[in-house]
Amino acid sequence: MKTKLITALLLISISSMAQELYVYTEPASNMAAKSIGLRLNNFIMPESYTAKTNYHMIPEIMVGVSKTTMVHFDAFLSNRNKGLSVEGGSIYAKYRFLSNDEVQKHFRMAAFGRYSFNNSDIHQEEINLYGHNTGFEAGIVATQLLHKVAISSGLSFIKTLDNGGNNKFPYGNLDRQAINYTLSIGKLMLPKEYTDYKQTNLNLMLEFLNQFNLGSGKYYMDIAPSMQLIFNSVARVDIGYRQQMSSSLYRTAPNGLFVRLEYNLFNAY
Amino acid sequence: MKTFLFLIAAIISIATNAQVSKVSLQASGLTCSMCSNSINKALKTIDFVQTVNPNIKTSTFEITFKEGSSVDFDKLKKKVEDAGFTVASFVAFVNFNNTEIKSNEPVKVGDKTFYILNAKEKSLNGAKQVRIVDKGFVSTKDFKKNTLAAPTSGNGVYNVTI
Repeated sequence: MKTKLITALLLISISSMAQELYVYTEPASNMAAKSIGLRLNNFIMPESYTAKTNYHMIPEIMVGVSKTTMVHFDAFLSNRNKGLSVEGGSIYAKYRFLSNDEVQKHFRMAAFGRYSFNNSDIHQEEINLYGHNTGFEAGIVATQLLHKVAISSGLSFIKTLDNGGNNKFPYGNLDRQAINYTLSIGKLMLPKEYTDYKQTNLNLMLEFLNQFNLGSGKYYMDIAPSMQLIFNSVARVDIGYRQQMSSSLYRTAPNGLFVRLEYNLFNAY
Repeated sequence: MKTFLFLIAAIISIATNAQVSKVSLQASGLTCSMCSNSINKALKTIDFVQTVNPNIKTSTFEITFKEGSSVDFDKLKKKVEDAGFTVASFVAFVNFNNTEIKSNEPVKVGDKTFYILNAKEKSLNGAKQVRIVDKGFVSTKDFKKNTLAAPTSGNGVYNVTI
């Protein structure tokens, strides 16, 4: 009986809506309470002005704290210096404060915050709290699910501080502040009809990722298509490509590949 | 201590009859199989649940219970909410035994008290489908349709329609 219970507790799943499990952004929905998600995020971004390719590896642990709150912990590694070295980390929290659920539909809103620290040298005007800059972010996200399609939009304020290791932010003091705004669309492509939890899911996503610097007035606008496979309702593979459409900010490696492996443990603790 | 508690629990369980044979609940706020699975797995962790039979297409779960166990409706609802979703419909299959009923007055069945709204019959016998209409057990839209007889729900007291 006890073994059976433990097995039941160890049985695993993913919590959120497939169509809104976006690759580059987070939706307003959270993971289930008491679930844990493990991620390995990989950015492979060729530098614009050299022959070098930047590789950023970000292991991530996600915890469903309650039905409304979840927390992410990230470690930032990159090949900027010799080999692969740890440059920093990040804590991210999201709180869902609005939930209008209907059968096969919902509208939800959440507030989120992030604090990141990084010891690498600062080499671009773009502020990136996901593996480049020390700083914090606060924002809101709204997500609408309509059967097989989900649309989500986020707006956040970011402020960067000096990086660790005496790596100061080399631009103007006012340029430390920026607004990030995103639009994400996801569609469930397969299966056509659900019969089984073991069916492999295929989702296609299209995301628009933008930044506007409040000091300099400079900006970037990126587009990021991606595909996602979900196996056995527990494991997930995301493959995306981020492409700059327009930018007035100095950026060293804006375009490139993103590959994420994810595994979810349901009722994990 | 644990064995002792278990024994007591077992004795209490045997003493109570199976008043609730089955619950059919529908969850809202989801479409995909993974979300459905998260509810499915959460419901299966409940100690008094015997089986969960999900219909992924309609987000409906048929739940049966272990013999002699006391069924806690609030716990079933909480599991759906903890998975990140909402209960849109909650129908319990309740066994009545020539129970006299009056509209908007409490009816005791086992450890539960039902306020049957707009009851037409005078007595109930055998298995009947009882739909809970308290907040959190129906969609927000449906919740507004009924005037509740018992203002405080939960803890075994429910407003229902038959």
